[in-house]
Amino acid sequence: MTLLTHELRLLLRSRMALLALLLVALLAAASVAAGMAEVARQRDVIARIQPKQAQDMAAIAQWAAETKDPGTAAYYSFHATWDTPSPLAFAALGLRDVAPYILRVRALGLEAQLYDGEAFNPELALPGRFDFSFVLVYLTPLFVIALFHDLVSGEREAGRLRMLDALAGSGRSLWRRRVLLRGGLLFLALAAPLTIGAILSAVPFPTLLSVQGLVALYLAFWIGVTLLVGRMRWSSVANAATLAGIWLVLTLILPTIAHVAINRLIPVGEGVELTLAQREAVNRAWDIPRADTMREFYAGHPEWKDSPPLTDAFHYKWYFAFHQVGDESVAPKVAAYRNGIEARDAAARGIGWLLPSVGVQAMLTRLANTDMAAQLAYQDRIRAFHEKIAEFLLPLSVHRYAVRKGRL
Amino acid sequence: MNAITLIARDELRLMRRNRVTVIAFALLTLLTLAAALISWSHQTGIAETRARFQAQAAQEFTAQPDRHPHRMVHFGNFIFRPLPPLAAFDPGVDAFTGNSMFLEGHRQNSANFGDVRQSSLLVRFGQLTPAFVLQVIAPLLLVFLGYGAVARERERGTLRQMLVQGVSARALLLGKLLALAIVAALVGLPALAAFLLIAGQPGALAGPMAVMVLGYGAYLALWSIIVILVSALVRRGRDALLALLALWTVLVILLPRVAPDIAAQTHMLPTRLETDIAIQQDLHRLGDAHNPEDPFFTAFRQKVLRHYGVDRIEDLPVNYNGLLAVEGEKLTSRLFDDYARRSFTVQQAQSRLTDGFGIISPAIALRRLSMAAAGTDLEGHRRFLAQAEAYRYAMVQQLNQLQADTVRYADDKAKDAGADQRKRISADHWQTIPQFRFKPATTGDLVKASLPGLGLLLAWLAFALLALLPVARILQKARA
Repeated sequence: MTLLTHELRLLLRSRMALLALLLVALLAAASVAAGMAEVARQRDVIARIQPKQAQDMAAIAQWAAETKDPGTAAYYSFHATWDTPSPLAFAALGLRDVAPYILRVRALGLEAQLYDGEAFNPELALPGRFDFSFVLVYLTPLFVIALFHDLVSGEREAGRLRMLDALAGSGRSLWRRRVLLRGGLLFLALAAPLTIGAILSAVPFPTLLSVQGLVALYLAFWIGVTLLVGRMRWSSVANAATLAGIWLVLTLILPTIAHVAINRLIPVGEGVELTLAQREAVNRAWDIPRADTMREFYAGHPEWKDSPPLTDAFHYKWYFAFHQVGDESVAPKVAAYRNGIEARDAAARGIGWLLPSVGVQAMLTRLANTDMAAQLAYQDRIRAFHEKIAEFLLPLSVHRYAVRKGRL
Repeated sequence: MNAITLIARDELRLMRRNRVTVIAFALLTLLTLAAALISWSHQTGIAETRARFQAQAAQEFTAQPDRHPHRMVHFGNFIFRPLPPLAAFDPGVDAFTGNSMFLEGHRQNSANFGDVRQSSLLVRFGQLTPAFVLQVIAPLLLVFLGYGAVARERERGTLRQMLVQGVSARALLLGKLLALAIVAALVGLPALAAFLLIAGQPGALAGPMAVMVLGYGAYLALWSIIVILVSALVRRGRDALLALLALWTVLVILLPRVAPDIAAQTHMLPTRLETDIAIQQDLHRLGDAHNPEDPFFTAFRQKVLRHYGVDRIEDLPVNYNGLLAVEGEKLTSRLFDDYARRSFTVQQAQSRLTDGFGIISPAIALRRLSMAAAGTDLEGHRRFLAQAEAYRYAMVQQLNQLQADTVRYADDKAKDAGADQRKRISADHWQTIPQFRFKPATTGDLVKASLPGLGLLLAWLAFALLALLPVARILQKARA
């Protein structure tokens, strides 16, 4: 123990080491704070829209009640959906800055609504957010390099290496002690702000533990790389230059090349195609006999087969039916589009096993539920919700029940 | 041959002899060329896809059968944002904004299907483009090649020798700088190849390209000076390398991320949901077309009746419903413009705040210059959105006017079995509606937008050059 405290005193006497450790702690704390502020803002926005949405619904319900046709209410009412950030979202904001976390849908064709975006400034999204995952993935390796590149070579250049090796009881244990000490302090500088943020955000303990494990593993990887380069017995400068080069290739160059390769090899069958097809299918209903549409609709929804036949007058039943049929007609295209996105995501995860920078980012966003899978899950929830709206409104409009205020 | 060129030549010879230096330089050259080719083929691919979709959408629009004009208002039209030629060099925000838009009556939709929402997480690691290589990676190469330029001489004691032999510190610094600047120019050379590819494209503008060459040149020159300055000021080569790496990390990696975060927290954007609801409320306040006693629409009806000198809307020579649709669209569209302007004001404030960080990070200044000159910045996207809204409005109003002029009011109101056929007008009308043509930014627009970034970069450059003087003086004193 005394040896360790001695080493600690030695390490902290070096101005650069102390500065580096303080800087890591500061950056980690700042990124946690920035992430928490962003998540708090998103929660505030979700809370802020609730009364506005309720007011909007009430206004429509009141106005639609006068028309006596529940179809009108169904047509004009937009229902809010939202995707609450997970407790860990502050550590890795993932896609939450570019994909909507609030989306309103109505009982019409969903495929024309599901891919709508939120208003955001793309210039702010372009460089990526300053969150904990950024500090960990990009900056931490640089600090590892700063602290470890001269672990042995520094002593050699100072002329102390032979003496240290000759000292009784030192040898391997000395280096192990130094590596553990530097690595441990680095881990503390990263994990302490993260843990405080996680406790404040009520992150479940197992999740927090996984993230801490991830931090430790990523640190261990980079420390391993530095030690390996250190074994080449080059000068400190050569070590630093080589390591910075490795960092550049692993975190900046290879991921961008992989991105190009993945998007090339896995086309997603443009989402545009499916919305164009859906629009054709929906609007065609006005030009074909309405009975055709209803037949198609009843085939997919036999429970409505026995509802009263259409008259010459406009009926919302038919209107909603052709929207539903339009959605169903593009189902294969929707599935293909989604499979393409999932395949791209899976490929990137696969690359994560080769590139630790990508792997850590992927796992962090998965744990934080801010990745593509989370986005797709939100879309699934919207889809289910949309179905529920239709299930609720369709019987109303089919049978023309009177809309009572507040039922929507 | 004077001292400066001698020193520069010596330094370059030393770099040539160092295998690591040569390999790093070769790799960066390859990377730039690869980035240029990949980016270029990517952009031409995108351009082709969008042009194909645009043609398909136009064809589908004109191929619609006889219909009531209002059905066409809801059928709407799809438009696609074409890419400016310089996007192959710097695609800017293209991947982060939707590039297709559905235009219909009464509604303003978002631009959808941006790359970022249909790619893997790798898209957030940056994109391999010539702009990325020059902005982010090239300075790092200059750091590696130049950190020891002066520090090495000092460590070996050759610095004092040279100074004693009468080489002035200023000549030494300038010589080292010249060598590194030549390397920087060579680093930028492959990027010029990208420019040559782009210059052959239709619509490539010389003005913005000149600004970009100037901007990237200033940026690389600036980094050369920074490297030499640090190398001269720091005692040991290793410290110089670490200091430069730290500087690069802060200026190129950290600040460009921190600045947007601060901007996003300072100027908050309303959500689409809030905007939609606010527009609905404003509309309701203006008037309710469904309410026969509504004062706004009663006044409108009176005005129309007076204009045509009749007492009943049934007696009008035009279809009153069509006129009502024109008036309604005018109201909503004015609100759309109003709210879009507000949203952009906030976004511009955010971007301006980010740009302000260019004072402490030349990388931010260069990125602004580069995107603005390429026309791939927020303003470029806004240009598309504004033209899209103008086109949407013209298209919808033309269809509404068709309803007023060619569909009889009595037919419009009729609910009998044959009414549906009588309401329809000939499909030939759809041909008369012009298709969307994006008007690209002019040379003047792009150059003007890129000037603030260029000014900031040149100020940086001037400041760094001036800093060479006191540093030379300090170095001169080191002789003693």
